[in-house]
Amino acid sequence: MDSYLLADAETVVARARAGDLDALEALYRAFEVPVYNLARRICRTAEDAEDVLQETFFEVCRSIGRYREEGSLWGWVRTIAASKALMRLRRNKYRETEELHDEVLGRHREDSHLRMDLEAALERLSETSRAVVWLHDVEGYTHEEIAEMMGKTPSFSKSQLARAHARLRRWLGEEGS
Amino acid sequence: MSHLSMEELVALREPGLEPGDAVAREHLQACLQCRAEMERLHQRVARLKALPPLRPARDRWPQVESRLLTERRRHRTRNAGLAGLAAAASIALGLALTHTAPPPDQFAQSQQIEEAMQRSQALESELSQFNPEGRVLDGRTAGIAQELEDRIAQVDRELEMTDLQGREARDSSLLQLWRERVGLLDALVDVHVTRASNVGL
Repeated sequence: MDSYLLADAETVVARARAGDLDALEALYRAFEVPVYNLARRICRTAEDAEDVLQETFFEVCRSIGRYREEGSLWGWVRTIAASKALMRLRRNKYRETEELHDEVLGRHREDSHLRMDLEAALERLSETSRAVVWLHDVEGYTHEEIAEMMGKTPSFSKSQLARAHARLRRWLGEEGS
Repeated sequence: MSHLSMEELVALREPGLEPGDAVAREHLQACLQCRAEMERLHQRVARLKALPPLRPARDRWPQVESRLLTERRRHRTRNAGLAGLAAAASIALGLALTHTAPPPDQFAQSQQIEEAMQRSQALESELSQFNPEGRVLDGRTAGIAQELEDRIAQVDRELEMTDLQGREARDSSLLQLWRERVGLLDALVDVHVTRASNVGL
């Protein structure tokens, strides 16, 4: 992903380490969309995701001197972004989305007839479940890594993933298909 | 055997073998329904990966850049202020020791101030080698570090104000403030050292 996003990554990183603002902006432009996408998939609102984007790049700019080039640059940036997004989730203490919807709409489990598209179904998952699904299935983090970032156990991550898939399956109308 | 649960299906997608995986795999091979369920799981994950990326509505770089520049200015000001303070205090102490003959207890106090200043400079040097501004901190640690830095800045302001005091009062305040500064810097170094030993980021 690095070479695709940032043609001359080594030079840009070297300049960024020296504090060159143009190079730091080049890093921002290269990773702006994937960082925002990751944040938006985890956070409830676009505003929160934009704040995570801003916090992530402020941290990237301050910490670029610590990037060791052992892993990919995107992997390093992504870990910062994921940590910031999960931190925001904890700070905001969102109520579980699906529980809220169920209360408001006075429904419980009789929604098996629903058939949503994937975006809507993903959005309907609780913040924690959605974060686990995205980090594991899309970003490729292991349950151990997710557990460490969330301050939970790998078993927690595994059970969240299984529950989320059971719900997605139902909401996408895949049951009995 | 009954059909595989979602937990078992999800577990079978993981690399490596867990206890019970062998039995579950055997069932998967033999059961059309579970194979279809596993295929749906694979497809769902593939569809998740294929979702188009969401893009921010606003450009946040100007805010990042502005905050970065503000922090750089603050850092430069603090370093310049510190160097000035240390120099001014050294000159004042030197003059006091050269031109007057201070009583023994006052001489001891001047030495203690000198020692505290040297310790403060050593800690600043240790902190700068540690590159605290280039370190990833979690929210709580960052909050503690920020609070310590704010208190150090407050002590620096109070050190500047000691110039307005009479000599005896000034020496007494100087010693207290430089010692406080050393304590705060010590704590700040501890925050970064502890963080470095705990985190691999």
